[in-house]
Amino acid sequence: MKNIIVKANAGALTNFEVLDLLNSRGASKDTTRVIASETVSRSEYKVYDYLMETAASTQTRESVTKFSDKCKDFKLAKAEILNIINLRPSSDVELTPILEKPDEREIDIEGILALVQELLPPLPTVEAQKENEQEETENDEQS
Amino acid sequence: MFCLSELEDTVRVPPSDLNLPLEVAIKKALQKLFLDKVLSIGLCVSIYGIKSIEGGFVLPGDGAATYKVVFRIVVFRPFVGEVIAAKFKESDSNGLRLTLGFFEDVYVPAPLIPTPNRCEPDPYNRNQMRWVWKYGDDEFIIDDSCQQIKFRVENISYPPVPTERAEDAKPFAPMVVTGTIDDDGLGPVSWWEACAPISDAED
Repeated sequence: MKNIIVKANAGALTNFEVLDLLNSRGASKDTTRVIASETVSRSEYKVYDYLMETAASTQTRESVTKFSDKCKDFKLAKAEILNIINLRPSSDVELTPILEKPDEREIDIEGILALVQELLPPLPTVEAQKENEQEETENDEQS
Repeated sequence: MFCLSELEDTVRVPPSDLNLPLEVAIKKALQKLFLDKVLSIGLCVSIYGIKSIEGGFVLPGDGAATYKVVFRIVVFRPFVGEVIAAKFKESDSNGLRLTLGFFEDVYVPAPLIPTPNRCEPDPYNRNQMRWVWKYGDDEFIIDDSCQQIKFRVENISYPPVPTERAEDAKPFAPMVVTGTIDDDGLGPVSWWEACAPISDAED
């Protein structure tokens, strides 16, 4: 069976866009997953599960578009912007492996991290729950 | 790590599906053909959409209708230099193996694990070897307890299908991603958590 690849690369997608696509087909965190199984196959669900644990699960189309627009000021390559959106680095040490030769290009690392902090929603982590628990205990102690 | 690809192919819709709306029937046939399969461009993850359908001829001796379809699929194909978060799967004397859930063939060979390191038999699991990174006076273990391991893609290869294999050989992997964890910020996420992130929790 021969198939002809018309265009091997018709556009790169951020993790968020793929998650959005699966969501629009009806994928959800619901454990039974019976209703959506008509439109979302088991292997697509594996991708969905993986993406829900990454930064993509808290992002919105607005924040992602706004972020990539503003990134143009920082002279970053398209691949680097994609990487940053997918990983949402929150510290210098997380951002550096993404960039290529940052020292030679005089990249404003602080500026990029500040932009990430400002525009991209925080990661979906268990730490967020822990912070809430701490706040609750503090309130109890005060009262 | 995902991108769109446009393909053109002849699709055969079996007679049992001919009562469905045309697009649904073709999408069903496409999913059976491409979903979760590795092509030369990468691992096909999902059918994005159909661009055009032509034909619908029924060939002699066959009850099915054959269409020529132009469509787009979502392909998993990381680019070299991309940083991806994965989970630990297993390790042996050659290096580590990481998994992404939907893709399990990410290998970090021994030379790409930060040095100095050593490999020791895993005390908890007799068949496996465990890798340990020695940094200064501290030793960091790479094993199941690491929640997430970040790696940078070094290479993607598509080994050809083997004609003969040994009985107990690992299942054939049509697409193999080689990664490195030997750089700042790579490796288990817990190694770098001590570095101060810019947090707004102090407001």
